[in-house]
Amino acid sequence: MRTPHRSLVALALGGSLVLAGCGSSSDDGGSGSTASGGDTKVAAVIKGLDNPFFQAMEQGIDEQADQDGVDATVQAAQSITDTTGQSDKLTALAQQDYGCFVVNPISGSNLVNGLARISASDTPVVNIDSPVDADAAEEAGVDIATYIGTDNTEAGGKAGDEMVEAVSSGKVALVGGISGDVTSNARLDGFTQAVDGKLDVVQTVAADWERQKALTAATTLMQDNPDLKGFFAANDDMGLGIVQAVKNAGKADSITVISVDGNKDALQSVKDGDLHATVAQYPYAIGQLGVQACEKAAAGDDLPAEIVSPTAVVTSGVADQALAKFPAPFESFDNPLD
Amino acid sequence: MSTTDPTAPRAGTEPGVAPPAPRPTARQRLGSVAWPEVAAPAALVLLLVGFGIADPGFLATGNLGAMLQAAAILMVLVLGQTFVVATAGIDLSVASTMTLSAIALGETYSRTSSILLAVVVALVTGVAVGVLNGLLITKGRITDFIVTLGMLSAASGLALIVADGKPTQVIDRFLLDLTVRGFGIVTWAVLLALVLTVLAHLLLFRTSFGTHLLAVGGSVRAARASGVRTDRVKIAAYALSGSCAGTAAVLLVGRVGASEPASNTSFLLNSVAAVVLGGVSLFGGRATIVSPIAGALLLTALVNGLTRFGLSEFYQPLAVGVVVIAAAFLARFDR
Repeated sequence: MRTPHRSLVALALGGSLVLAGCGSSSDDGGSGSTASGGDTKVAAVIKGLDNPFFQAMEQGIDEQADQDGVDATVQAAQSITDTTGQSDKLTALAQQDYGCFVVNPISGSNLVNGLARISASDTPVVNIDSPVDADAAEEAGVDIATYIGTDNTEAGGKAGDEMVEAVSSGKVALVGGISGDVTSNARLDGFTQAVDGKLDVVQTVAADWERQKALTAATTLMQDNPDLKGFFAANDDMGLGIVQAVKNAGKADSITVISVDGNKDALQSVKDGDLHATVAQYPYAIGQLGVQACEKAAAGDDLPAEIVSPTAVVTSGVADQALAKFPAPFESFDNPLD
Repeated sequence: MSTTDPTAPRAGTEPGVAPPAPRPTARQRLGSVAWPEVAAPAALVLLLVGFGIADPGFLATGNLGAMLQAAAILMVLVLGQTFVVATAGIDLSVASTMTLSAIALGETYSRTSSILLAVVVALVTGVAVGVLNGLLITKGRITDFIVTLGMLSAASGLALIVADGKPTQVIDRFLLDLTVRGFGIVTWAVLLALVLTVLAHLLLFRTSFGTHLLAVGGSVRAARASGVRTDRVKIAAYALSGSCAGTAAVLLVGRVGASEPASNTSFLLNSVAAVVLGGVSLFGGRATIVSPIAGALLLTALVNGLTRFGLSEFYQPLAVGVVVIAAAFLARFDR
């Protein structure tokens, strides 16, 4: 048996090279979605681009940066569960000379280590979509310039109001995301509050944000409640699964389905008359607002602690407009950063 | 058949003086190098030089620290995987075991507020899964691939059940310090990974256990004939892998500030990739500790560099895959 001395020698050589490199402390920025002009360099770390929601968010960041002449780099996690990978990407970018960071963390605390380093160098951080946990941030000394995101309770409430208008009375069922998920719970709570005393919520089930699971759950719910009048789904993917279940059961005329997100498939489904409505939240606008907030923060301007991004109910009457403008909002909204 | 006396002096040499050994050719010298073992360290050096030239900030102290911090969890997992692969086995459950151990840590901490107890429970959970793997493989006579594949699913499922599918915040100063404090760019987590690397090297090359481990990997039958308790050695290898997964879980929770039931499959793929990059024979019997660690650092540095250059994350797994396949291709020439 041979002890691998060669490996040790090679690694020692590598180590000496690293130490030689330690003398160099200049941090040049990496290339990204670059636009000419503008002094602020913005780095954004968002969730997985395997999801259309975050693709639209990236598009919003890129186009706003382009419009403002800002150099922006966007990096994303490999998937919605890649907490450490996302953290590693932020840490890598944190060593470069960015004037501001936009972060959309997978969990409340997975980016806290990287953000602690950024805050220590007095570089502003703008938090979008999913909030950084306040306790974790405080413990690590992380300072968030502003939070930009959807008011999920309000989005659920808008869906509830639309359901009351469409159904007026009767039984409805709720289909949430992952059990215990904060976003899902907020949307379900908002809906429940809006329909309280007007509609009868017979059951709430979790379908893990998945179309197939929602289809299966809806099929069971319709069998258990033959007189069901409506479904509310916490996201469009599940909403479209429910639409399919309703069609399969031959109840498309008697059951109303409303969901939240406003992705392209859902807007098309609303236009086609399958999905009754979707409460569109605009990841594109969230991305745009993130860049605008970063520019202001880097310039030393004060920002509100929280900026609520726009939401809008899309029914068949405005589906064409929504599709034409997608991924941008089809309605004008009050932008506090303008 | 030649009748020449090999001890007779050659023409042109003095009687009684041994002729000089023929100088090895360049080809022979290159052929004597264990390429799979030096490939990862050599590639790491080349990568550091290449990225360092293209982006001087890549070799800045801050970024080197970031890379080491990012590599710490993988380094610990790779140590465990190396011991298993050295026995001609494979541990496909390593990432799921880490996840389950992380959940055990989070649940214990949320109930007791004792970080020490939570860390111990995480380590015990990891070892328990490892021992169970080892027992099923040796006593149950089931292929390691099937056992650890089943355990991958079972541990993931158990993590989801125990956590009720929800993450548990673990905001603790000790764990936070573990991942952000230390000596300069070397955080306590990195230091722990380096200390474990040294201990693993000593265990593999300076103890009878290491000798037995490699013997089992070379040939179970021959090892058994030599008096090696092969089952015990295999169980110990999987227990080591489990303990490394438990240790990695502590670092993981410190890094992300929560125990999450997410499956962490990228850690499984990267742990095997680093071992392959490190030239450890998947057929067992030949191993090294330093090269797989260099492999882990190489994978981390590659992703770090590509991130700094703004390359889309869609291309990053492709780059890692190409590097691993290239390493496996190189290994063919050392069989």
